[in-house]
Amino acid sequence: MSNKVAIIAANGGMFDAYKVFNIATAAAASEKEVQIFFTFEGLNLIHKQGMHALEMPAGKEHFAEGFEKANVPTIPQLVEMAQELGVKFIACQMTMDVMGLTKEDFVDGIEVGGAVTFLEYAKDAAPTLTF
Amino acid sequence: MIQTNLQLDAKGLACPMPIVKTKKAITDLEEGQVLEIQATDKGSKADLAAWASSVGHQYLGTVEDGEVLYHYIRKGSNELEVEKTFEHTVSLDELESRDGFILDVREAAEYAFGHMEGAISIPMGELESRMDELDKEKELYVICRTGRRSDLAAQLLANNGFTKVYNVLPGMNEWNGKISKEV
Repeated sequence: MSNKVAIIAANGGMFDAYKVFNIATAAAASEKEVQIFFTFEGLNLIHKQGMHALEMPAGKEHFAEGFEKANVPTIPQLVEMAQELGVKFIACQMTMDVMGLTKEDFVDGIEVGGAVTFLEYAKDAAPTLTF
Repeated sequence: MIQTNLQLDAKGLACPMPIVKTKKAITDLEEGQVLEIQATDKGSKADLAAWASSVGHQYLGTVEDGEVLYHYIRKGSNELEVEKTFEHTVSLDELESRDGFILDVREAAEYAFGHMEGAISIPMGELESRMDELDKEKELYVICRTGRRSDLAAQLLANNGFTKVYNVLPGMNEWNGKISKEV
């Protein structure tokens, strides 16, 4: 059985962020090795400013109240927790170049890499998840 | 109220926080000790049971009290197969035809979620100080989950003047007979 979980975060909304970080922290808490590859809009989720203002899908804004009522941790809290549990964040170099972003635009402790970096890690990971 | 080594308050927290908090809390325990997790997340029951089995802890059970779920997990139950040295043993099958007392030396929480009818509960860690509760003249059948703790307990009792002590093998994990619960 593989002890590695590989996640691709390719979307930048609030729902996407919860899917990514909930699965990542749960896996890390279960003593799995976890890497997340952030690409395209997914880079939002670890952007220093962006991650504080993630949007709900259009027409779903009323869920904000539900999030509060269910006492769900905020995304910045989940990001911190994931890193504390040893989850590794890889930002996609190509997307950063396209969007004019640098490593300093993101939370501390990330790595920058290309598709091959992720593929190398993911080749014996199970499961590999895409959000 | 089930006796445990540590209580964790995860009430009001949503997934995945109960799991994350449990993972952190359990590092403070010794192997074999029991953690109580108090949670209100309805999904925590299935999650904690799955988590425990995936990382090698023993999920004992859950008690519901109103909105609060009390979960019980024993740390690191993957007991290594060690040689059992106490020479007087009986099998679970033989036990049914014997007279005497059954002494269950598992943790209080393990006992609470299922034990043989009439078994006396004294956790291994308390046996030395509570030995005087037992009758030295009576047959004593010592049982735990896999026979490892009961092996040590039987040795301890024999060294303290108990002459009719037997280790019951393999243990509660193979027992398919009647079960009593305290929860």
